[in-house]
Amino acid sequence: MKSARRKSAHLVAAAIAMLLAMSGCGPAAIDPQRQIGANPYLPEIHEYLLPPMHVAKVVGWNGATPAAAPGLRVQNFAAGLANPRSLYVLPNGDVLVVETGGPPGPVSRPKEIVMNWVEKMAHSRTPPGQRILLFRDTDGDGVPDQKTVFLDHLHSPFGVVLVGNDLYVANTDAVLRFPYSTGQTEITAPGEKLCDLPGGPIDHHWTKSLTASPDGTFLYAGVGSNSNITENGIQAEVGRAAIWQIDRATGAHREYATGLRNPNGLQFEPQTHTLWAVINERDELGPDLVPDYLTSVRDGAFYGWPYSYYGQHIDPRVRPQRPDLVAKAIMPDYALSSHVAPLGLVFYTGTNLPAHYRGGAFVGEHGSWDRTVLNGYKIVYVPFTNGRPSGPPEDVVTGFLIDGDKARGRPVGLTVDSQGGLLIADDTGNSVWRVSAASP
Amino acid sequence: MPSVNPRSTVNLRGRPLHAMLVPVPIVCFVATLVTDIVYWQTAAMLWADISAWLLVIGVIFSLFAAAVGTIDFLGDRRIRELRSAWIHGLGNFAALILSIVNTLIHTRDAYTSVVPSGLILSALVVVILVVTGWNGSTLVYRHGVGVRQKDPA
Repeated sequence: MKSARRKSAHLVAAAIAMLLAMSGCGPAAIDPQRQIGANPYLPEIHEYLLPPMHVAKVVGWNGATPAAAPGLRVQNFAAGLANPRSLYVLPNGDVLVVETGGPPGPVSRPKEIVMNWVEKMAHSRTPPGQRILLFRDTDGDGVPDQKTVFLDHLHSPFGVVLVGNDLYVANTDAVLRFPYSTGQTEITAPGEKLCDLPGGPIDHHWTKSLTASPDGTFLYAGVGSNSNITENGIQAEVGRAAIWQIDRATGAHREYATGLRNPNGLQFEPQTHTLWAVINERDELGPDLVPDYLTSVRDGAFYGWPYSYYGQHIDPRVRPQRPDLVAKAIMPDYALSSHVAPLGLVFYTGTNLPAHYRGGAFVGEHGSWDRTVLNGYKIVYVPFTNGRPSGPPEDVVTGFLIDGDKARGRPVGLTVDSQGGLLIADDTGNSVWRVSAASP
Repeated sequence: MPSVNPRSTVNLRGRPLHAMLVPVPIVCFVATLVTDIVYWQTAAMLWADISAWLLVIGVIFSLFAAAVGTIDFLGDRRIRELRSAWIHGLGNFAALILSIVNTLIHTRDAYTSVVPSGLILSALVVVILVVTGWNGSTLVYRHGVGVRQKDPA
C-alpha cells in the first residue's frame, strides 16, 4: 500500500508541477519602442495557458480633458454621445459623428462567454446610437453650436465618404448611397444599396472603414477578419481580412489587397495619392506579438493573415497551412508596436496646427486588452517625407489613461475639420475632442 | 448491527452520490479524446469547439465528484486503509488537474488549442481514468465500499 500511495502521490505532484510550469508566467513585455518603424523586433511566439486580460477600467472624464503635446490645446467638441467611433467632415465644414457599435458576439465556445464579458468591461455602458449626428459651428470658434440627427436607424455604421452629391455609408453588411446636397442637416431619403459587405453571422471585426479614390471612381472598404486567427473556421473568412475596391458606378467589387487582419482608417496619402491604412494584427501569441501597423496598401498584395505575420513568419495556429500564399506575403511599412489597436488615421493637410505636424499622419490607438502593461490609448503623429514615414511616432494626445490602468476614454476615428483642427472620436468617453494650436 | 462493508458518507437513501456523479466526467473526458482526434484529422473547428464544451462540463462535474469522494474517503477509516482507494483518489485528482490545464489549452485559438498539447493531455487523462476506474470498481465490487449489507437470513 505504501508504494501505491507513493506512486499516486508522484502522479499528483507531476500534474501540479506541469500546471505551474505551463501557467501564466509568460515573457516580460519588451519596450514598445523596439517595435516601431520598418523593422520591428519580433520575439519568439509565446502561447498562453491563461492570456493576461488587462482591460483598463472605464472611469469617464468627469470634466477633465486629454493632455496635448506642447503648442497644442484640446477642447471638448461634443459630449454625452452614444459610442462615437468615426468622424467625417463635409465640404461646408459640417462634422458627421457616427455613433455605432457591433453586433453581440456569438457564443460557440465557453471562452466566448468570458471574452464577451471582458469586451463589455472595456467599453462604455451606453448603448450605441446606430446613427450619424451632424454638428455645425456657425460662429467659427471651432466648437459646434448646432446638432441634428443626420441619418438614423443604421446597422452598425462606420465608414462615411462623400463623392459629389452621393453620400456613402458603410454599414457592417452593405455600402449604402444617399443623396446629399450642401447644407443639408438631415437625410430622410431611403438609402440605395451599392453593394453587400460581409456582415453576420459572427461578424467578429465589424467596422467597415470607407474612402474614395481621389478621382472618385472607386470606393475602398476595409473588411476585417471574422476571427482572431481562423478559430471560427476558414469558411467564415470569405471576402474578409481584405480591402475591397468597389466600382462606384456598378457596385462591382474586387479584393484590392488581402491578408490584412483588421484594416481601418483607409486614407489616400495626399502627396503620392497612395492608399494607406492602419491594421490590427493578431492576438494571443504573447505581449509583443504581433505588432499592429500603418502601411501603404499595394494593389494585389497579400499581407499574410492568417497564414503568416510581418512578412513570412508562420502562425502555427492555422490549418491547413498555405506555404504558397506565405511565399507571396509582403512586409508592411511601419510597425506601431503590439496591441495598440490603431483604428483611426488621418493625413494632416491643414494649416492650423504648428508646421511640425504638416504632411504626416495622426494615428488613433484604441489601446490594448491582452497585455499586462497597457499599450496605446493615445494619438500619435508619424512624420512623412515624400509620401513615406520618416521618423518615430510622437505622442500628440494622451491622458486617456489615469493611474496606469483606468481609462477616461479611448480614441478611435480621427479627422481634420475645415479650420484645420484635429478631431478625435472617443467611444468610451462618449465625446469628440478637438485639438488645435495653443493660442500664442 | 455494525456494518461490515465500508460506508459511503454522502449518500441519498443509501445510494452513494459519488457513483451518480462520476459517469458525467468520465463520458466527457473520453469524448474529448474522440473529438480532439477528429479535429486533429480534419482541422474542422466544430470538433475543437465541442472538446472545449466537454472539458468545461467534465471539470465542473469532476469538482463535485471529487468533493463527495473525498468526504467518503475521510468518512470511513476502512476506506482509507484500502490501497485501491489511494490509487483511485490520487489518480483522479491528477486527472482533474490535467483536465483543468487541458481546458485552458483548449481556450487557445484554432490548431494549437488541440494539437499537440491538448490531444496529449486528453489521451493521458483517459489512460489515468482506465487505471482509476479499475481501482474504483475494486473498491465497490471487491471490498463492497458503499454497498448495503444484505439482511442476515
